Amino acid sequence: MRVSWFLKEAFISLRRNLVTSFAAITAVALCLFVLGVFGLFILEVGQIISSLESDVEVVAFLKDTATTQEINDLQHKIFNWPEIDKMKYVSKEEALKRFRKEHPDLTQEIGDVNPLPASFEIQLKDPHDVEKIAKRLEKMEVVEEVKYGKKYVRNLFKLTSTLRRIGLLFIILLLFVSVTLIAITIRLAIFARRQEVAIMRLVGASNWFIRLPFLLEGMIEGFAGSILASIIIYLLWIFFFPWIEKALPFLPFEMSYILVFQIIFGLIVFGLTIGALGSTIALRRYLKV
Amino acid sequence: MILARNVTKFYPKHDKPALHNINLSISKGEFVFLVGPSGSGKTTFIRLLLREILPTSGEIEVAGIDVVRLRSWKIPYLRRNIGCVFQDFKLLPNKTVFENVAFALEVLGKPRKIIEVHVPEVLKLVGLEDKAEKFPHELSGGEQQRVSMARAIVNRPPLLLADEPTGNLDPSTSLEIMALFDRINRLGTTVLVATHDREMVDSMRKRVVALENGQIVRDQRRGVYGEG
Repeated sequence: MRVSWFLKEAFISLRRNLVTSFAAITAVALCLFVLGVFGLFILEVGQIISSLESDVEVVAFLKDTATTQEINDLQHKIFNWPEIDKMKYVSKEEALKRFRKEHPDLTQEIGDVNPLPASFEIQLKDPHDVEKIAKRLEKMEVVEEVKYGKKYVRNLFKLTSTLRRIGLLFIILLLFVSVTLIAITIRLAIFARRQEVAIMRLVGASNWFIRLPFLLEGMIEGFAGSILASIIIYLLWIFFFPWIEKALPFLPFEMSYILVFQIIFGLIVFGLTIGALGSTIALRRYLKV
Repeated sequence: MILARNVTKFYPKHDKPALHNINLSISKGEFVFLVGPSGSGKTTFIRLLLREILPTSGEIEVAGIDVVRLRSWKIPYLRRNIGCVFQDFKLLPNKTVFENVAFALEVLGKPRKIIEVHVPEVLKLVGLEDKAEKFPHELSGGEQQRVSMARAIVNRPPLLLADEPTGNLDPSTSLEIMALFDRINRLGTTVLVATHDREMVDSMRKRVVALENGQIVRDQRRGVYGEG
C-alpha cells in the first residue's frame, strides 16, 4: 500500500488543526521533558545511593575477654551466613595502629594500656539486611557491641523509596495528560473529516485504511513532542552538567553521553507510544468503523 | 442478489417494529422500487442491507454474503459489492468531480493507472465528462447526484442501492436521474431504489415493492406507486 498517501493525509490533517496539534505536541514535549529530567535525576540519585549503600558496614566489637578460639569460631560462623559479602578481623593492635595513624596528636595520652576493642568489619551483599544482621550479631556471646549507621541507613532507604514513589506518581499523571491531549486532537481530526470517513466506509475502505492516517497523526505528534523534549534536555545537559559537577564535587556523579542518549532514545519510544495510545483511544471512542 | 427471510427489526425504545417479518427476493439484474410513506421502513431496509444495523431476527443475504453472520471486520468487503446513492449526495466539497469519484477507488488502494481509466469512463456514462474539474458547488443538484452515482458504480459493484435519490430534485431532473438508473441497470447492475416519488415510479413501470408500517403490502411486476 502507498505509505506516502497515508503520510500525506496525516500531515494535511495536522495542518488543518494547527492550534490543537501544536498544543498536543507541546504537552507531550513538556511531559517527556519532565520525564527525561526525572529519569536523569533518578538514574543519578540511584548511582549516588548505590555507591553510598555499598559503604554501609556493620562493625561488631568483641569483648576483651574473648579467647582466640572463640574469635575464630565466631568468624567461621558469621562467614557462613548467606548475607555476608566480605568480613575482616581487626585485632586490638591493628585498631590501635589505625587510631595512631588517624589521630597522631592523641596517641601520647593513651600510654601502655590499649583501650580499643578488637572487631569484625562486615560488608553485606544487600545493604537492606543491615538491621537483621546487626540484631543477630548482638546475640553472640563474645560480641560486646554492634555498630552501624542505623539512622543514616534508614533515612537513606526511606528517601530513595519516597523519591521513586513521587517520581512514578508524577510520571503517571503527566502521561495521562499527554495521552488525553493527543486523544483530543485526534478526536477533532476525526470530527473535521467525518464526511470523508463516512464516504470511505460507504465505498468499503478497509478499517485499517480509515484508521491509519489518524494513528499516524497521533504518532507524528508524539514523535515531534519527544524530539522537542530531547533537544531541550540535551542542551540543558551540555550547559548545566559541568556546572553541577563543579558545584557538588563530593557526590559521586558520573554522567556519560551514553546515559543521555539512552534517555533520549527512551523519550522517543515513549513519545511514539503516547501518540499511538492517544489516537487509539480516540479511534475506539469516536470512530466506529 | 438480495434475499430477506423473516426479517424483523426493533429499534430500542420503540414499541412497534420498524420492519416486521419481511420476506423479499430480488434476482440479479432486476430493477426494483421500494415505495411507501415516510416511516414505513424503507431506510431501515437499506441500512440492513449495508450492515449498518443488524436485524432483531431473520436472515439477509446480499451478493451471496450472509449479512447477519458477517464478521464486523469483513463489512468493508460486503460494501464493495454495493454502490450507494443518497438524497443528500454526500460529495466532498473540497474535491473536484474527478477527485470525488476517484476517492472511491483510492481508498480501496487501486493503482493510479486504473483510476485514470475508470473515472473518465464512468463520468462519460453519467454525462459529466466535461465537468470533471468542477467543484460540487459549481454544479446543479441533478449534476451532483450524477457525480454521486458515478462514485457509486465506479468500482463496478453488482448491486446499486438508492435511498430517496430524487428527494432534493425537481421532477424533470428526477426523470433524468431515473433514466440513468435504468441505463446502469441495463448494463447488468441490480438496482434497488427506495422512494416516495409517485410520478417517477409510475413512469418507469418496474417491479414495485410497497412497504407500510414495516410490512410488505404489495409486490408487483411492472407496477405503479399505487393507491393512497
